[in-house]
This record gives sequence, structure tokens and C-alpha cells, in this order.
Amino acid sequence: MPPAVRRHPTARAMTVRRLAAGVRLNVLTFVRTPLNVVLAVALPIVVIEGWGRSMAGLPETPTMEAIPLTLGRLLGAILGVAIVAGLLGLTQMISAREADRRLVQTGYEPRTLLATRLLALSGVTVAVAAVNFLVLAATTSPEAPVLTFAFLALAGIVYAFLGALVGAVLPRLFEGSLVVVFLAMMDAFLSGDSPLAADVPDFVTYFPLYHPKELLRAAMFEGTVATGDLAFVAGYVLVLLAAVTAVFGATMQVDGRWSA
Amino acid sequence: MSRTTTAVTVGLREQLRNYVLLALLVVLPIAFISVAFAVTQDTTMPVRTIVDGQTTTVPRPMPDVHGVIMTPITSTIIAGLVGLFLMQNAAVDQRLGLSGYRAREVIAARFGVLLVLTLVVTAVSVGVMVVDFVPENPVVFVAAMLLLSAIYGLVGMLVGALLDRLAGLWVMLILPMLDVGLFQDPLFVRDAPAWWMKLFPGYHPTRVLVDAGLTGEVDTLASMGWGLAYLLVVGTATIGIYYRTTRIAGRGGRP
Repeated sequence: MPPAVRRHPTARAMTVRRLAAGVRLNVLTFVRTPLNVVLAVALPIVVIEGWGRSMAGLPETPTMEAIPLTLGRLLGAILGVAIVAGLLGLTQMISAREADRRLVQTGYEPRTLLATRLLALSGVTVAVAAVNFLVLAATTSPEAPVLTFAFLALAGIVYAFLGALVGAVLPRLFEGSLVVVFLAMMDAFLSGDSPLAADVPDFVTYFPLYHPKELLRAAMFEGTVATGDLAFVAGYVLVLLAAVTAVFGATMQVDGRWSA
Repeated sequence: MSRTTTAVTVGLREQLRNYVLLALLVVLPIAFISVAFAVTQDTTMPVRTIVDGQTTTVPRPMPDVHGVIMTPITSTIIAGLVGLFLMQNAAVDQRLGLSGYRAREVIAARFGVLLVLTLVVTAVSVGVMVVDFVPENPVVFVAAMLLLSAIYGLVGMLVGALLDRLAGLWVMLILPMLDVGLFQDPLFVRDAPAWWMKLFPGYHPTRVLVDAGLTGEVDTLASMGWGLAYLLVVGTATIGIYYRTTRIAGRGGRP
């Protein structure tokens, strides 16, 4: 009987295997810190209820409409997902930078590595969005629950990729977190329907949360899909993806250079 | 030059060499506070505060009220993150212990760096604010700003000792945002605050900020005292944890 021939995996199979291993390890790294998981569950509850009740507490004036508690909670959910996902993207990119360079030196493709990071990031972000959605659904009645969840996850993915981009451009946690944090807060204030704000400049429509918020409002209160906003968000995600891929590729170059 | 002064100087020089950080410490408050003033509706809002010893509601321009809150939010978030990252790097200070530094010298050096950075952040935040709004009682307002920022700097250090980087970042963003920005904001909380809101680090200093910022006479100086007591408690806890973090294994460190 001839000995069994051991086949070498094809390049494609190898890439898939590396992707799967990378995603699994990235998710495990997050899950193995129980406090991160606890906070990812607890913070949305605090932010949604805190934001919702505070917004609803604003008095009505001749120039300012009162904000319903439901809308306040929805805005809190968007902000909660954005903050958690943005900082997650930032730390994910920065903490793995040196390890990624070594993997590139051993033959990993930068794109494969980045794909594992972003896939894991997207997975955790969807889980965080699910928690936010459950909290939201427990206190409100969305017209289209599936769409509301999907758009909440989309808002999170926008900020997760934004955090990853900041982490790739500015690979220092303190400075990067300042950028992400203040961007998220300005975004929430300017594009988050704050009743305090008036004369909001037109460029706010290009802020990361503006169109996801419009999508969520339509899904939650009317049960519809705002297709124009959806196209804009899809384009936004693609641009972020292209930018983070370009920056990550540039920072992972090892050919002809001294290693980091 | 004492060893503590040397350590403080080196710590500050390390920050000064970080141009990106310096730029962010200036640009972010300018952007955030200026935008808050620029887009806030120019209307009058009822604000609950203390006048002549009595809790009462006074009408004040909403941009002023919003500015009085957005300014400390900015400084507390930055000071909190400064404290968080100082503590995250505390393990490096063990080397100072190995090279003969006493624990109290290392702790004094780190607290010195935190104090100077807190002063800078507070000065920039207040400096940006006075372009649009000058508090009724600037001296007490600045004192309360410093107190609040210092408390949050120490809270950041505590959080940095207890949580890892990601969890610490989440907490040090959301805590000041909810505490100062929502639970202590007189625009949002118009009745007597709930008991649990009074437990947050921002309760007492923000009472003073609202009072000193929006009314002529300051009736909340007792809150400064409570704020200082809060600072003392958080500071003592931080020193204890910092000492434990930076002591040299097997030697306990020299006090």
C-alpha cells in the first residue's frame, strides 16, 4: 500500500486558515479580559438611560422643543456604541502593532493581518451593538427592530474603523484616545440632534454619526430605510477601509528596511 | 536640585518633547469649547442654584450655562486621561526605586507631573472659555475648576491602577461625561439631585462652578470644602495604590 501523500495547503487555503486563526485569537484576547466584557455590557445601560433621561429633562422653550425620552435613549445608544467601538478600534490597532510587524516579517500579508483585526473588531462591535439594542428594545418599541439593530451595528462599525484609522496614523494610545474621544463628543453634540444646538454648520452632514443617526431614526420611528443615508454610510465605511488599509500597509513595510 | 525635582523635570520634559500631545492639549479645548459656545441656542434657561443661601431658579443665557459645563468637561476628561496614563506607566517607576529613589520621592514626582499638566489643561480650558464668557466670580470659578480637574486626575490614576487600558479609557471618558455633563448639569437636572448623584466626583465642585460662574455672590464655599475632602480621600487611596504598584518586589520599597 503506497504511503499517504500529505498535501500542502494551497495559498488560498492558507490565507483562509490564517484569517480564521487571527480572528479567533483577536476575539479571545478581548473575551479573556472579563472586565472588558462586563463594561461592554454595563456601559450601554448607563449611557442609554443616563443620556435618555437627561435629554428628556430639558425644559421646553419657545425656541426649543422638548426631546422625547425615546429619542434621547436612541441618541444615547448611538453615542454608547460609537465610544465603545471607537476606543476598541484604537486600542486594537495600537496594542498589536509590534506583533503585527513581526508577523509580516515571518511572511504574513499585511492585508491578511489587517483583515483579521477588522473582522474581529466588527464582530465585537456587532456584539456591543446587540447589547445596546437589547437595552433600547427593553425600554422602547422600535418600529423595525432588525433594521434598528443593523443600523446601530453600522454606526459602531463606522466608529470602530475610525478608531482603527486613528490608531494606524497616530500609534500612541493617549494622543489617539484624545482624538477619538473629542471627535465622538463633538459628533454626538453636533450631529446628534441636541436641542441645545442651533445654527449647526452644514459640514456636520459629513460627521461620522450624522447619517447613521438618520438611518436609525427612520428605522426606529417609521420602520423605513433611508436609502440615501444608507448609501452615504456605505461609502463612508469603504473610504475608511481604504484609508486604514493604505496606512496600515505603509506602516507594515519591512522590505529593504531595518525591522522595527 | 533634589531627586524629586529632577524626576518631575524629566517627567515634564518627556511630555514637552511630545509635540503631538502638546498640540492636542491646546487644539482640542479650543475646538470643543468654542464650538459649544458657537452653536448653542441664544435663549434664556432657568438654572437651579443658590442665591443668598436659598436654592432658587434664575434665568440665564443658555450659551453661558452650557459654557460653564462644557469647560470642566473638557478639562476633566483630559486630566483623567493624564492620570490614567501616568498610572499605566507606573511600573517603569520601579526602576527609580531600584536606582535608590525613596517611594515618597517617586510618588511626589508623579503627582508633580500630574499637577503641572492639570494646571496647563485647566488654564487652556478657562482661557478658551473667557473668549466667549467671563464668569461672575473668576477667582472662585478657576479654583473650582482646578479642584475638579485635580480630583479627576487622581480618579484617572486610581482607574489606571485597577483597570486595563481599554476598560480604563472607556471609564475615564464616560464617567466625566455622565457626571459633569449630565448629572451635575443644571440644564438637565432641574430638581434637587438624587442622592446617588451627590456621590460622583463632580458634584461639589460643579455646584461651585455654576454658582461662581452664573451668580454674583458665591454661596457654595462649603462645597469647596467637601470637594477638598473628596480630593483628600481620592489622593490618599491613589498614593496607597501607587506605592503598592511601584514598590520593588521583595524589598517593600523605602517609605
